[in-house]
Amino acid sequence: MATPAGRRYMRRFFPTMIAYVVVLFACVWAIKTWQPTGLALVVLSVLPALPVVAVIAVMGLYLLEETDEFLRQRIASCMLFGTGVLLVATTVYAFLVNGGAVPASAELPMWAFPLWCASWGLAQCVLGLRDRAAGGSE
Amino acid sequence: MKNRLRVLRAERAWSQQDLAERLEVSRQSVNAIETGRYDPSLPLAFKIADLFGLAIEQIFQNPAKDDQ
Repeated sequence: MATPAGRRYMRRFFPTMIAYVVVLFACVWAIKTWQPTGLALVVLSVLPALPVVAVIAVMGLYLLEETDEFLRQRIASCMLFGTGVLLVATTVYAFLVNGGAVPASAELPMWAFPLWCASWGLAQCVLGLRDRAAGGSE
Repeated sequence: MKNRLRVLRAERAWSQQDLAERLEVSRQSVNAIETGRYDPSLPLAFKIADLFGLAIEQIFQNPAKDDQ
């Protein structure tokens, strides 16, 4: 990511992800050790979500701050692909649960954001490979 | 959109990176415009035209005229 917006994104993304890992481990440990209830349990449960929300904001800022119009269009297209994959997956899953074909899972929503990120990344890779195949690089 | 960007760039012995820096865009943008995979916005098209001292129509081929 050579653009200033891309560099800013990386500078914001990695510390936020590190914060997520640290907070997650700390909260899991705290819940197992102290076995809190009530409000304390709610707070410790939701705390790891805050860095994830921050990562989502960082990604949104990247899209808004990227001044290179071609790269910005690419980011938006790939994010849209990720959104499409997520919507299809959740819709299919919902109908499967509704029909009784699969049991409802309390953990599955946690995979929504990783699925969206992976789809976005996959789309970026595919378009990057298509750029290389199109040639013309000097 | 077909264009003469590569020819104009070669006349000045500029690499894609050189042109990208002059236009304040990424090298991927220059490559995408040159290969016709991306059509620049009007502001960027004017910037390109100003850089080469030419009219936009002297750099980019009107797609409507392709069909005629």
